[in-house]
Parts: sequence; structure tokens; C-alpha cells
Amino acid sequence: MCRNSHRSQRVVRGRHLFFCLLFTVLWLVFFNAPASAHKVTIFAWVEGDTVHTQSKIGAGKRAKGARVLVFDSKGNRLLEGKTDEKGEFSFKIPKKTDLKVVLKASMGHMAEWKIPADEIGAVGDVSGSTVPEINVKSGIEEAVRSTDVKPGLEAVSLTRQEVQDLIDKSLDRKLAPIVDMLADATDCGPKMTEVIGGIGYIFGLVGVALYFANRRKKE
Amino acid sequence: MHISEGVLSPGVLIAGAGLTAAGVAVGLRKLETKEIPSVGILSAAFFVASLIHVPIGPASIHLILNGMLGIILGWKAFPAVLVGLALQALLFQFGGITTLGVNTLNMAFPAVVCYYLFGWGIRIGNRRLVFILSAFAGGSCAVFLGSVMVGLSLYLSGEAFLPAAKVVVAAHLPVMVIEGGLTAVCALFLRRVKPELLEGAYVPKQSS
Repeated sequence: MCRNSHRSQRVVRGRHLFFCLLFTVLWLVFFNAPASAHKVTIFAWVEGDTVHTQSKIGAGKRAKGARVLVFDSKGNRLLEGKTDEKGEFSFKIPKKTDLKVVLKASMGHMAEWKIPADEIGAVGDVSGSTVPEINVKSGIEEAVRSTDVKPGLEAVSLTRQEVQDLIDKSLDRKLAPIVDMLADATDCGPKMTEVIGGIGYIFGLVGVALYFANRRKKE
Repeated sequence: MHISEGVLSPGVLIAGAGLTAAGVAVGLRKLETKEIPSVGILSAAFFVASLIHVPIGPASIHLILNGMLGIILGWKAFPAVLVGLALQALLFQFGGITTLGVNTLNMAFPAVVCYYLFGWGIRIGNRRLVFILSAFAGGSCAVFLGSVMVGLSLYLSGEAFLPAAKVVVAAHLPVMVIEGGLTAVCALFLRRVKPELLEGAYVPKQSS
């Protein structure tokens, strides 16, 4: 009698423990789900002549003090820096080429982001000789062409640059919120469908393994 | 603890893949038909555990559960971890396909070590205290050894060993404590409800 009650008490205690555990796990899963991913991401975008990068560990948590390396298309290291408190790091474009921005966080985590050369093309064009190629067919241009005066052409090309700069600036400003949104959306962690899909895969594998094991046994 | 693609040197990757293949082969050889479901369930637990984020400490870390897999499955932890990590890499982009071998080795090898170090305590299961302590030790030691192995793989790829290992071990200190407790609780629960899961050698259900 005494032993019996002792055992049932132990069973009850065990159940309590189990439910505590279950609720802890559920609580952890559902309340921390958005911050649960364990991978690093880097997102880089061009604004004028600078490249801004934003690095994150998991979804939402910024990577502080992580190393950011910048490579050109041939894999030469151009520059290197550390992310600040907000996980951001900005640098002037060193040269007009395909850029590869690599984030190296601790514990063997790495992520990269590629910036193709034509995305940063505008910077090179301003100083380069390619300005006349830009196809701005404005009335002023036509007027200057017809008069065929050299100093006038220079003045117009300056205007063209200014126009382009203005467009670039206002585009940057207008697109800033969208860029921010994209930066936030680049990593939103594993979704429920992926989690359940993965568990389904494992159970499917178990089924396949059992199938083959049973067939072997029959033979 | 998932090492990303492109961090490790090719030699480390190949060695890791080779050792993992050997471990998986041993695990599959030891696998009996009736154990397949329990390996699958623990593999699923391992797969999901990485989503449980531990908000303590400096870095973003998650549960691993390799100790639990180790003391329950022994060598069969290798195939279970491989499946879990492969799906994590494919679905969550944790780690990567090329680093799958190294990552599996880093998680499953400590599991096997803990199985040999502490498995006996869980199989004999005579004294409750011994049982709890060995389950706790198994759970936390596997995480510790896993952190050291991650540091070692980084070291073999050219990083300085002590700083790399220190960072990984320090980041996982809270996980060690949590996993030790979790493993102990789960093992206790299994001992009461499904003792046959804790290795066939465990004493059969108490005759009432």
C-alpha cells in the first residue's frame, strides 16, 4: 500500500516534469520563432559612390563587430572593415568592377553578396569619358547641336551630369524605404511549412527504411 | 554550430566527409529494423531543435540535442544527425551541402563519445541519481565536445585555435547547461514511459 502510493506519486511527478518541459519547449518555439534562425546574412546596396552593407545573425539580430571583406571579380581583396553596433558598414566604391562583399562572423559563419559592375556604373560614368553616350534627347541638346558651339556642348554635358546626379539622388531617396524593406526581408527565418516539410521528410525516410528492412527480412 | 560554405579548406571538408561516411556506415550496420522508428523520431527532434533559439549569451545560438541522440542511439546518431543536418541545410540554409560532412562529424562524433562515456549510467539505471547525473553529463559534454570540434575544424582551416574554440565554447555555455537538464528530463521520462528506447540493454519494465 505504502509502496503503491509512493510509485503513483513518482508517476505524477514525472508527468509534471514532462508537462513543464513540453510547455517550455512550446514557449521557446512560439515566442522566439522570429529570432530563431542561426545563419548570417549580408545585404549590400549602392547609394551614390558608397556601398552600404547590413549584416545580421539570424532574423533581426544585427551582427556587431563582424568582419566585412570586399573582393573584386578576380578575388583580390580591396578593403576590409568591421560592422558597427547596428551591423552596418559603408565604404566608398574603390573601383568600378564586380564587387563581392563577404561577411565573416565568428564560429565559422559566412555570407556574401555580389554587386555587379553595372549597378555601380553611374559612379564611373561621372568622371569618365562615356558621358556623351548617354542618350538624353532634350530640347536644349538639340538647340546646342544646331548651333554647333564647342563651349556650349561642354555646358550641356555638365547639365547632363547634373541631371543624372539629380535623378540618382532622388531615386536613392525614394528607393531608400524599399531598400530597407528588402534588407529586412532578405532573411525571415525558417517558415512553418519548411519545418513541417522537414519532419515529413524524416518520417518518409523512416517509412522507406522500414519498407526495405521488411522486404529484406521476408527474403 | 553550423559551419557555412566557403569557410573551411578543401582538405578539412574531404576528411570530414570521409569520416562521416565511415560513421554513418557503422551506424547503419548496427541499425536493427525495430530501431528505425526511434532513430527517425530522434532525427526529427534534432532537426527541430536547431529552431529553438537560446536567448542567453553573446551570440545567437540554438539547442543541438546531439548528447541526447548519442546516449540513446550510440553509433546510430551518425545517420540521424546526417539526415537532420541535410534537411536543415536544404530547407533552412543552415550550414551548407559541402560542409555537411564536417558538420555531421562535429555533432555526431561527440554524441558517440558521450555514448561510450555515459551510456552505461543510463543503461544500468539502477540508481536514480547515477541515471540523472550521467544523462546530464552526456547532454552537456556532447555540446562541449562539439564546440571544441568546431574550433578544431576552423583551426585546421587556418584560424588560430584558441580564440576560435574559446568563442564557440563560451557561446555554448548556456546551451550546455540547458541541454544537460533537457537530456536528463527526457531520459527520466523515457525511463518511466518507454524504457526499451534507452538501448535494449536497459532493464525491462518493472513488473508491478
